[in-house]
Amino acid sequence: MTEYSFDRPAFFAGFRDVIPIALPGIPFGLVLGFLISEAGIDRFAGWSSSWIILAGAAQLAAIELLAEQASAAVVLVTIAFVNSRHLMYSAALRQRFAPFPNWFRIVGPYVLLDQSFALANGQPNDLDNRYRMWHYFGSATFLFVMWQTVVGVGVIVGDVIRAEWQLTFAVPILFGSLMLLSITNRAGVAAAVVGGVVALLGSSLPQGSGVLLGIVLGVAAGAAWETRLDDTAGSS
Amino acid sequence: MTLWLTIIAGGAITYLTRASFILAGDRIQLPAAFERALRYVAPAAFAAIAIPAIFGGNGLSNLGDDVPRIVAALAAGWVVVATRSVPKSLVVGLVTLWILLLVS
Repeated sequence: MTEYSFDRPAFFAGFRDVIPIALPGIPFGLVLGFLISEAGIDRFAGWSSSWIILAGAAQLAAIELLAEQASAAVVLVTIAFVNSRHLMYSAALRQRFAPFPNWFRIVGPYVLLDQSFALANGQPNDLDNRYRMWHYFGSATFLFVMWQTVVGVGVIVGDVIRAEWQLTFAVPILFGSLMLLSITNRAGVAAAVVGGVVALLGSSLPQGSGVLLGIVLGVAAGAAWETRLDDTAGSS
Repeated sequence: MTLWLTIIAGGAITYLTRASFILAGDRIQLPAAFERALRYVAPAAFAAIAIPAIFGGNGLSNLGDDVPRIVAALAAGWVVVATRSVPKSLVVGLVTLWILLLVS
């Protein structure tokens, strides 16, 4: 397995590269921790969702439902819907991760967060596989440690983030920035426009299914636009 | 106990969605058109998360309340396109939002 032995420079490059896009999650994690402490559930179990589920939006939805004493079935269906985008992330990274060792393909998905996906997916095609793998783990390590810490601090110190500071708006700015950085052609613009508009129109749909609908239709729009260009090029 | 089981089951569901295709790896073959389409997962997914959050997430009926957020998001978007820097766009977006909320 020396082919995939530890690559220190790659690991720390990933660790560093993810910091700018990880930090916007801090206010969100603190608020989530505060809500866990207020939800009337066992605080340690609530915090443990940070390493068991490890997905902010799904944790937030689950904690709100648990606070309302919703049934386990409702909580689990909601988690499945909110996290369904990971199915798309997993599909998008399948070919890149296919040459990696089995142990990576078992452990790696555990830390497939929005930011680690953004970095792994946005990398150039000519990178060395060993570098790519350890870069992913470096970014995931920072994200993992930051998330456990920030949510834990939120649980313990409580209401440190004042709503009027609007600091949680960092999350939409982050995702808007990641969207703009991920667009490389006009088909990408079509994917983003359709994905965003459909999710907005569908934002009252149950369990956040509008987001899933937006992603699926956005991807279809991007592919359709690309095909249309191919056809135009082919016929001229 | 139910709480722990619910969280653990939630973790299992989340892991399975993340692992699905990565775990399958080379053992499955997907149509080439599908693989090409997956290049648009990133813009579509990030837009589907960002846009409803910027526009308030409560439909289009009270768009007026969202104007400061929309302007702040546009400023942040302009910065990230010009500089490719997420931290810079974050600072500009938040400061723009604070100014607009102060003067409104």
